[in-house]
Amino acid sequence: MDFTYILDALPDLMSGLKMTLMVSGLAIILSCLIGALGAALRTSGFKPAEYAVRGYVEFIRGTPYLVQIFFIFYGLPSLGLRFSVFWSGVIALTVWASAFQIENFRAGLAAVGRGMNDASASLGLHRWHHALFVVLPLAARAALPSSMNTLVATVKNSAYLQAIGLVELTFVAVDRIAYDFRAIEMFFTICVIYLLCVFALSGLGHLVEQRLNRPFAGR
Amino acid sequence: MKDNDRRDGWTKRPEVCVALTGVDKWFGAVQVLHDINLEVRKGEKVVVCGPSGSGKSTMIRCINHLEKHQKGRIVVNGTELTDHNRDIDRVRRDVGMVFQNFNLYPHLTVLENCTLAPRWVKGVARKDAEALALGYLERVRIPDKAHFYPSQLSGGQQQRAAIARSLCMNPKIMLFDEPTSALDPELVREVLDTMVQLARDGMTMVCVTHEMGFARQVADRVIFMDAGRIVETAAPEEFFGNPRESRTRTFLKQILH
Ligand SMILES: Nc1ncnc2c1ncn2[C@@H]1O[C@H](COP(=O)(O)OP(=O)(O)OP(=O)(O)O)[C@@H](O)[C@H]1O
Ligand SMILES: [Mg+2]
Repeated sequence: MDFTYILDALPDLMSGLKMTLMVSGLAIILSCLIGALGAALRTSGFKPAEYAVRGYVEFIRGTPYLVQIFFIFYGLPSLGLRFSVFWSGVIALTVWASAFQIENFRAGLAAVGRGMNDASASLGLHRWHHALFVVLPLAARAALPSSMNTLVATVKNSAYLQAIGLVELTFVAVDRIAYDFRAIEMFFTICVIYLLCVFALSGLGHLVEQRLNRPFAGR
Repeated sequence: MKDNDRRDGWTKRPEVCVALTGVDKWFGAVQVLHDINLEVRKGEKVVVCGPSGSGKSTMIRCINHLEKHQKGRIVVNGTELTDHNRDIDRVRRDVGMVFQNFNLYPHLTVLENCTLAPRWVKGVARKDAEALALGYLERVRIPDKAHFYPSQLSGGQQQRAAIARSLCMNPKIMLFDEPTSALDPELVREVLDTMVQLARDGMTMVCVTHEMGFARQVADRVIFMDAGRIVETAAPEEFFGNPRESRTRTFLKQILH
């Protein structure tokens, strides 16, 4: 393995990494917001909203991710919706991740239990205060492990966006390999970089989990 | 003559706090409450008993609108329960409830459990809410557990914390739904003691419980429910000594053994 070659390619890879982090970061934030909203709608008891969210989740989970990306980048313009490569990437990744976050948060909500509702109602707590101070922390704690999985997958799945020409980490590597034929060095290096990102993310997740896990065990 | 009697009755007896008149309740197609009529006066202690599934929980959950009734009237301290949130909020401000499974917030300390509602419903300042809560925690004799989480307490302590949490909202009426039936036998006493003390302090109470010792000790009236109806109402001595209905006798035979 030629380490001087890796060092030489590092600046390019770093700018690719920057793009990867930007796209994944935006998608993570947006998908968590949409996930929370979707899970709330999905359990709202308002049937049309419930069916719409369910349909969305089933559609995204039931179709190939790559097809979704192509649909957004090549399909939507013919419907008059044209986005840059960057925003197409953010949208595609967000649309994909949101479906999974909705399911994660829905499981979190289901773990909260009817008793909490009874308690808050009998105390006269306003439903928004109940949602903020009781449901949110309990649901977040229950949803955290599966939600972390989706976050990690979101970062990794940003690599697919090279298919529409987004110059992120994998794109840079594949591009350089086309000129230099140093496949081993390149793929080894980006694997390490992806791993580091994932470790950082799951480390963060552990910290949050410990914080949320303060003595309360039980339900 | 009759009118005179009634007038005397009005002057002597305390005001009616809770009145259920002809209340029916269905869960879907199943009717679980049939024509419930019940009056609870200020300071009165009513014990509700009856076999499983007879509608005891459902009845007291209707009083603070945790369940919605379909027919009849429920009036609490002069407010009739309608679908208007304003009425529901007003009733809930006056009515506290204690549950079989405590329903403490597991992610908050006992003190935080007690201060959440006073702070956010009534806008009490944090310091004041904490002082109030510590007062009630002392009354239920767990002031040393203020900074513990519910999972670090015994069942009896958790239930007493739940009682304190409810009292922090300064309710005029307390509802208890089998508060001791999730507890180990040796922990039942400490919760019942707390309830007896509350009764002595003059709280209006409606308790679903099968603790007959408690019923004898504090109840003004015992109500027996079966299949969604109030079958018998009597003072405790009469209820236990000389029950009128055969269903009551059968039930008492079962639980007193
Ligand atoms: N949420 C619900 N949906 C449908 N049916 C219900 C619901 N809650 C209670 N029921 C039914 O209503 C009836 C009365 O139930 P309830 O819980 O009031 O009885 P209970 O007297 O409190 O019994 P237990 O002593 O077991 O607590 C039962 O037949 C029960 O199956
Ligand atoms: Mg019950």
